[in-house]
Amino acid sequence: MTTTTTAQTVRNLETVGLTKSFGGVHAVRDATVTFHHGKINALIGPNGSGKTTFFNCVTGMIKPDAGTVTFRGDDITGKAPHKIARAGIGRSFQLCRVFPRMTVLENMLVAVRRTRVRELLAGARNPEEIDKARALLVRVGIDHLENAEARNLSYGQQKLLELAGVLMGDPDTIMLDEPAGGVNPALIGRIGTLVQELNAEGRTFLVVEHNMDMVMSLSDHVIVFDRGRPIAEGTPAVVQSDPRVLEAYLGV
Amino acid sequence: MPNASDTRHAPAPAAPAAPAAGPSAASGGVARRARTGRVVRLVALLAAVALVLAFPSLAPNAYILSAGIVVASYACTATAWNFMGGFTGYVSLGHAAFFGLGAYGTGILIRDLGLPSFVAWLLAGLLVLLVTIPLGIAALRVRGASFVIVSISFVLILLLVFQAWGSFTGGSDGLVVPRPFPDLLRPEHHQVFFYLFAALLAVMLVTWWAIDRSRFGTGLKAVREDEDKAQALGVPTRNYKLVAYVVSATFTGLAGGMYALWFGDLDPIFQFSIMLGSYMVLMALFGGVRHLYGPLLGALVVGVGLEYFKLEFGDTQFHLVATALLLGVVVLFMPDGIIPAVQSLLKRLGPQDSSIREITAAELLERNRAAASPTTPADDGTAQPAAVGQDGRHADGAPTGEGTGEDVGPRRGGPGGSSRGTSERMEDAAPRPRTGPEEDR
Repeated sequence: MTTTTTAQTVRNLETVGLTKSFGGVHAVRDATVTFHHGKINALIGPNGSGKTTFFNCVTGMIKPDAGTVTFRGDDITGKAPHKIARAGIGRSFQLCRVFPRMTVLENMLVAVRRTRVRELLAGARNPEEIDKARALLVRVGIDHLENAEARNLSYGQQKLLELAGVLMGDPDTIMLDEPAGGVNPALIGRIGTLVQELNAEGRTFLVVEHNMDMVMSLSDHVIVFDRGRPIAEGTPAVVQSDPRVLEAYLGV
Repeated sequence: MPNASDTRHAPAPAAPAAPAAGPSAASGGVARRARTGRVVRLVALLAAVALVLAFPSLAPNAYILSAGIVVASYACTATAWNFMGGFTGYVSLGHAAFFGLGAYGTGILIRDLGLPSFVAWLLAGLLVLLVTIPLGIAALRVRGASFVIVSISFVLILLLVFQAWGSFTGGSDGLVVPRPFPDLLRPEHHQVFFYLFAALLAVMLVTWWAIDRSRFGTGLKAVREDEDKAQALGVPTRNYKLVAYVVSATFTGLAGGMYALWFGDLDPIFQFSIMLGSYMVLMALFGGVRHLYGPLLGALVVGVGLEYFKLEFGDTQFHLVATALLLGVVVLFMPDGIIPAVQSLLKRLGPQDSSIREITAAELLERNRAAASPTTPADDGTAQPAAVGQDGRHADGAPTGEGTGEDVGPRRGGPGGSSRGTSERMEDAAPRPRTGPEEDR
């Protein structure tokens, strides 16, 4: 990691007027959001509030109808997902996705990025890259499974593998779509710890999450979505007491 | 021999060293097995090469020899198809288009430009390569069933064009391709072409093997498994797929050109045939698309079967029914092909090894402590033990998604390969009997 957590002035991910509709449904409309660099940013909101669509627009999986996405000052709107990934934004998927018929180690090696033809045709089992993959597997705690096919892992293990795979690409901004979804409380704690450690190393996080305990304990900055646009943002404490948020999300 | 379960009885200072003995003994066994496997593979490969080289002299008559060439050409097309189908999982039913283009390209270049046969053959391969680039860019915009339909449409268009444009292609009257070796008698002609097809197949197999083990191949396989995910990890999936498609099509075209030079008579109805494309898919699926020799093995079985059915049932369409039955059996009972089916059978009969290394909670704790102590500075010392404790209990990601990630599909790793078994064992820290081949070595 070369980035430092020095200042708020470093620009990370920003969207201006991001809009996406599916037929008559305005999934995201006119969303202008600035994520804080070097922080753990959380994106919360009721189901159907456009969080995942917003996420997919930012990572290039969906092309927005209007608006711009900039990353560290560069316009990345509508770029191909692999280009956005290579620019330094790693992401996980809402329902955890791994390569089921590849081993855990092979899953990790997919994220190795090369561009020269000679490097691409060289053997995939490069000792340095394998060492790096193993170190990351140790870090998330599934290194003993490196030769198992990913489909034989439990859901929690797959979540950890997905996170390790994202880290393999050395992203400096990591977007997690519901990291706590479908995993037990102990593992939620473990993922939370990992996120904090990685954040302490200087990585910026954007976390879409429904688990309020996790959001409130983990994040520095919370953005609340409702009906496709941000309605409030601030520290967890501020957001929690905002009447608009209580109305939209907590149903009070 | 100290094995991992001894560690809990050992005095504390010895504990960090002892766990290493278990895995290393296991990896010794693995290495030995890998070496045996390599020797077996080498012997099998040499035997196969010897058999191929000897086949023309062993063939009792010209019919068997020519049937051998047909099977070899099937093996070429199925292997060529597998560059796309096997690596990326994109099923093309229209690969006959490239076969036909290669065949007609070779024939027409010889007829109109008077080029030497094999120069025309290579140029036709280049032509197919160039045609496939724009075609691939268009076809690869869609996935799944849509791609299958697009692939079929191209072969149907070419069939109509080559039938209708009789003045250029010979139409339904056919196109006669001059033989490259006019002095050779028929049996010698067959013999030469059997070796030529075998050489082309060898080039394809080596190329497939090289891609399979490369970084590029890892990316392609990731596309097969989950294309969006691969892209999110930075794999330029579109370009990867395009390269695989072009390589696959070019090899198919070269096989078609070789066929034209051997057979010497082309008809659009046979060259641009849906059946031909379906055979490639059937043969590759039959053997196993994830394996280097899968399509070759499939071509041997299905190709020989096809020739036999044609001989038995003559002019009736019954050979197609028999082929369909064969496909049904494969899809129902061996959906991954015969190579994986046989492999899992052998695994069940052979020694049971666990694909997931067994490790106890105590070992994991020790290892993590050992890993943590040299790297973490003293001031972090307060935070670390807690994290390690959590590792010990939950590093395995305690199975929570019951029925979501686990128990889906048959487990091929053998009984020891169960992740749940491992986590259970980690939770109860009582001594347990060790299973597996490491025990007796």
